[in-house]
Amino acid sequence: MSLRFGILGLLAEEPLHGYEVKTRFESLLGGTWEVNIGQIYSTLQRLERDGLVAPADDRGDRGKLPYHLTATGRRTLNDWLRQPEDEPQPLREEIYVKLLLAGRLANGNVERLLADQRRVYLQRLKDLSGLERRSRDEGRDDLALLVRGAVFHTEADLKWTDAWAEEIRRAPKRGGRQ
Amino acid sequence: MTVMVELTDVRKLYNGGSPQAAVDGVTLTLQQGEFTAVMGSSGSGKSTLLNLIAGLDRPSQGRVLVDGVDVARLSETELARFRRTRIGFIFQFFNLLNNLTVLDNILIPAQLAAVSPAVARDRATALMHELGLAEKQMLFPGRLSGGERQRVAIARALINQPLLLLADEPTGALASRAGEQVMERLTELNRRGQTILLVTHDAKLAAAYASRIITLSDGRVADDSRLKASPEVAPSDVLRLRPGEASP
Ligand SMILES: Nc1ncnc2c1ncn2[C@@H]1O[C@H](COP(=O)(O)OP(=O)(O)O)[C@@H](O)[C@H]1O
Ligand SMILES: [Mg+2]
Repeated sequence: MSLRFGILGLLAEEPLHGYEVKTRFESLLGGTWEVNIGQIYSTLQRLERDGLVAPADDRGDRGKLPYHLTATGRRTLNDWLRQPEDEPQPLREEIYVKLLLAGRLANGNVERLLADQRRVYLQRLKDLSGLERRSRDEGRDDLALLVRGAVFHTEADLKWTDAWAEEIRRAPKRGGRQ
Repeated sequence: MTVMVELTDVRKLYNGGSPQAAVDGVTLTLQQGEFTAVMGSSGSGKSTLLNLIAGLDRPSQGRVLVDGVDVARLSETELARFRRTRIGFIFQFFNLLNNLTVLDNILIPAQLAAVSPAVARDRATALMHELGLAEKQMLFPGRLSGGERQRVAIARALINQPLLLLADEPTGALASRAGEQVMERLTELNRRGQTILLVTHDAKLAAAYASRIITLSDGRVADDSRLKASPEVAPSDVLRLRPGEASP
């Protein structure tokens, strides 16, 4: 998804060759996503096949070809930029499944795991806050906002572990546990 | 390391309050120079814990040592003196006197502790400078923003150079930027050696600024975590943008 539109977005600013696309994309996201150059080239080829980008001219060797956005590419990009994202809420972290399973296998006795998980989230909040501050100090307010998104998610994760722990405290004697 | 606060099996039951102890068997040690945050849901005993350490409340059971002094054994007069000289306290709603200027608010505890006026003024000037209040000293609190009022309260709490600074939800009444600024000031004070114990329910502020987080639940210590400083964490160590979905 995002790499494809990320490339279209960068080419909308100016024509770039593959390696420039890679470095700009990584810098846009503050190093939070490392892309390998092979992925960039294969995505560019697919975009070219779909008529969304084209080589700026056809001289020179393949790796150095600057690409630009076609009119169709620009329209596709603009449509994408206007659309809100409406996927189901992703809960990718393994902890969700781990806690559900641990809860069943240990009759709900997951306090230890919850406490450890909570510490991970607290440390992450510290790390993310540091990153947010550094991004601002470096004049990357856009990146600071991205990091802030991760802060909010981590706060939600923390609340969720607290809610789970609270649930256990209020109804401690479930199943075979005394 | 020097122990600043030592609680041993401390319980607090309020007369006429619920039979469930507000603080229920807390044992913990704070070292000099630590910046500790206390978290926990509303009613979990955070304020009670702070008040016990400040000597504003006496434990029903157990022992509270602050700088080696058994707070519960002090007479009322000794306790008042102890609080004035050893403890600085800041509150959610600042508790400033609105008919006194910034400077006069800051000077009150020094006057109560009979610090010489010249010394008190020097300290106040230094604190106002440090807390960005130098231009505001002749204003009345009503003319200040929330963040500025809290900084006045910090200066007032520090005028007698307390060993321990206690803060109960000091950012609770502030907008987020002003809250961060207050936390930055506290961090700066801590860097210069001030021991701080702060109650907050803002996990981000606690984690961002404190190095230790104690979590209370039903009056007990549910967790006590020390966090690692993270000056050089790489972005990709803490944040990953859905790399699994890179395929077009
Ligand atoms: N002065 C008091 N008299 C009776 N009960 C009190 C008093 N102060 C606090 N409590 C009770 O003690 C418990 C802990 O309160 P508190 O320490 O204020 O919690 P927190 O600051 O975490 O919200 C609560 O159940 C509260 O109702
Ligand atoms: Mg409270």
